[in-house]
Amino acid sequence: MTDTASHAPKADGKGDIYQRLGEITRELHEALKALGYMPALKDAVGELPDARSRLEYIARLTGEAAEKVLNRVDEAKAEQQKVIDSSRQLVETIGAVPGLKWAMPELLQWSSEIQAAAERTDHHLTEIMMAQDFHDLTGQVIKKVVALAGTLEQQLLQLLIETAPSAGSESANTPAAPESARRPELSGPVVNPEGRSDVVTSQAQVDDLLASLGF
Amino acid sequence: MADVRFLIVDDFSTMRRIVRNLLKELGHGDADEAEDGSVALHKLRNGKFDMVITDINMPNMNGFELLTQIKSDDKLKHIPVLMVTAEARKEDIIAAAQGGAAGYIVKPFTKATLEEKLTNIFRKMGWA
Repeated sequence: MTDTASHAPKADGKGDIYQRLGEITRELHEALKALGYMPALKDAVGELPDARSRLEYIARLTGEAAEKVLNRVDEAKAEQQKVIDSSRQLVETIGAVPGLKWAMPELLQWSSEIQAAAERTDHHLTEIMMAQDFHDLTGQVIKKVVALAGTLEQQLLQLLIETAPSAGSESANTPAAPESARRPELSGPVVNPEGRSDVVTSQAQVDDLLASLGF
Repeated sequence: MADVRFLIVDDFSTMRRIVRNLLKELGHGDADEAEDGSVALHKLRNGKFDMVITDINMPNMNGFELLTQIKSDDKLKHIPVLMVTAEARKEDIIAAAQGGAAGYIVKPFTKATLEEKLTNIFRKMGWA
């Protein structure tokens, strides 16, 4: 009985896909050689580490800037709390002395205004602190782009090795993917949510989704 | 309100600091930090914590893996886990809920959102 299964394409069609991908790769190799793009490709590969280090530099500097802002916010909040506490004491003290309250009502008004303004400033400081989360969000995007550039560099290098005239493709083994690359992919911050139905764009949508599922 | 000890897990120190400061403003000064899931798990197994606030996308052990470890550990599974993350895919939100997360906050978030989720969790845990 003839074993037809070993010659027939795989039932899931993957055999055909792999064969076609192989053909495309070979055609790409030939086209790159024929068109003289190999030097440009070499330059592009050479520039990728520089692009990565520039992105890492941006991530480091924005991180340091965020930390500086947080340090100043911490100090400002401590000072602001003193103003809030003192103005509150002032309002209570003036309010407790009827003669003073009636003789100079402006004192009570000014003290109340200082207290209210100090509380508003404290709220603004909280908002400034919250805005520093840009470092986390942009940092995650930069990390993904750096990883992508690393993968691209590795693959382009492999392509260069395989198309180099002297080096045999047999000797060039593709390096194993790093452990992190084999983990389930997390998408990170959504940069362009427009037109996507698989993501949420607000906390209200998260709450609605969970509520609809009974959580 | 109960005296709750938090463990804040995030690979970005800025975000850990923001969450810690917010907790302080909300009257919860007792918190420790971990930079990824594996450090968090070690701290949870060697310390006493009442609640975990964790990011998802982290090196070594991500937030989903940490959630699974916590919920499969008899000594830790009672600890509520609040996910605070930039992961906005619906499938991730559903996976977190099915995995036993007590809440899910998408970044960027507000102080009011954190306060609301904490209030809900505190109520469920009987801490309010």
